[in-house]
Amino acid sequence: MRKSLLVAVAAIVSGFYLFPVYWMYASALKVSDELNANPPTLIPHAPTLTAFRWIFERENVAQYLWNSLLLSSSVTVLTLLLATGAAYSLARVRSIWMDVMLIGVMLSQVLPPPLLVTPMFVIFRQIDLINTQLAVILATTTKTLPFAVVMLRTSFAQVPIDLEEAARVDGASRTLAFLRITLPLARVGYIVVGTLVFLLAYGEFVYPVSLLNKKALQPATVGLYGFVGADYSDWGNAMAFASVFVTPVIVIFMLLQRRIVSGLTAGALK
Amino acid sequence: MVGFTALYLAFFVGYPVVYNLIMSVQDVTLGNIRYLVRPFVGLDNYAKLIADPLFTMVLQNTLLFVIGNVALQFLGGLALALFFQQPFPGASFFRGLILAGWILPPLVIGAVWKWLLASDNGVINYALHSLGLTSGPIYWLSDPATSLIGVTMANVWFGVPFNMILLSAGLAGVPRDIYEAAALDGAGPVRRFFAITLPLLRPTIYALLALSTIYTMRAFDLIWTMTHGGPVDSSNIFPVWAYRLSFELFDFGGGAAVSTMMLVVVFIVALIYVRSVRAEQLS
Repeated sequence: MRKSLLVAVAAIVSGFYLFPVYWMYASALKVSDELNANPPTLIPHAPTLTAFRWIFERENVAQYLWNSLLLSSSVTVLTLLLATGAAYSLARVRSIWMDVMLIGVMLSQVLPPPLLVTPMFVIFRQIDLINTQLAVILATTTKTLPFAVVMLRTSFAQVPIDLEEAARVDGASRTLAFLRITLPLARVGYIVVGTLVFLLAYGEFVYPVSLLNKKALQPATVGLYGFVGADYSDWGNAMAFASVFVTPVIVIFMLLQRRIVSGLTAGALK
Repeated sequence: MVGFTALYLAFFVGYPVVYNLIMSVQDVTLGNIRYLVRPFVGLDNYAKLIADPLFTMVLQNTLLFVIGNVALQFLGGLALALFFQQPFPGASFFRGLILAGWILPPLVIGAVWKWLLASDNGVINYALHSLGLTSGPIYWLSDPATSLIGVTMANVWFGVPFNMILLSAGLAGVPRDIYEAAALDGAGPVRRFFAITLPLLRPTIYALLALSTIYTMRAFDLIWTMTHGGPVDSSNIFPVWAYRLSFELFDFGGGAAVSTMMLVVVFIVALIYVRSVRAEQLS
């Protein structure tokens, strides 16, 4: 009895919480008359894909999504490459310098992009990288790299050092032992960190909106902002754009939920 | 191996922080943005900002926004964490559903909430009206009296799952037998919560409050989408002001000065965070 009551409460609470996400999809499927109907309809009466067709044909949403994919994949690769060495050293070497480094990494992890974007803009302007996707990739990596280092360090720390030492006794170099033993054992960590870095970069807004003013280079966050930033917005199309943009995020999250959650709690508290 | 990463972070994080400080004591305009040497103006940028009538307003908004968000996210997260700690079928499934809100890009959350809060056809106004709580539409985001509340609602929605999951992890670390012993000694659930749960969660709570405070600085995306800091600066907080100074008024020196002031605050809070996390590791 008590258990079914708890289940019922849980269902109501999560339903209530997720209503905004549902409303995004529901609004995207409505025709504009129904969208502005009073009272609003909870379930679209005549679901239509008109808004989706419109945003792809008229607003070139495919270009925005492609740019987002390009930026976030590049950020992910660059971040994992740069994070590996640092995370491994931080997990294995104990010294005062490593402690200093770790604190430095943790501090840079929390710097909010809106407070860093002014100097970034001026620096990239000086080295003539403004209006290039490279600038956005380099800037976004400052946000994802510290996070990846902290999290990969935890993954490496979980690989028993004895395994590496055994390999080295058998004549493998330190690098070889790392590549053959540690890296494969930490692959789950890589999948989780890679996914999270990708998602963080995919949702990044401040850097692209400030560093890119050519529409053809902008990612979907900036495109979506153009839809809803004005006082009056065409909500059906805006919600269709938002749905197309976040559905991959939601799918990835559902597939990897457990691992993402345990990874993120470890990243924040360890 | 650690070298590349250290260099990257030093160049792309350390350098901008230092450069920000330098720009905050210079006169930086669109005309001299490309030069390294610019007129030194001492603390003029800071003095101008503090003398600006906007300063008091932005300070007040920022304090209200940060305290309101951190408190509400924490209370909501704690309530959910305690609820989902009860053993019942599907507890982790439902908790996982709620977590979905936290993985969404803030920009999308801003867009969806702007639509939910729309004054004419927004579903929130409709719900309030049909429950008999309001007589007419509330102009959530276009009324200076309510705009800060509107963006706070969206940001609390965004932050609650993060608070919930960190507190859940903390709760899972509290040994069961302490509760059982306390229950045997006759302590009720409320007493057990205040005497056992809260003290044992303290390191988690400190780390969480510090992180939440810093994350509210990132609410920029949300506010920028929903209100642009307006109307008449009623939802303008420091990160938004810094951005506006630099990218709308091209007063890069002023933008850098606001950023520097906020970075000092972030650093102090971040040190509290790092300390509490490291204290937890050692214990």
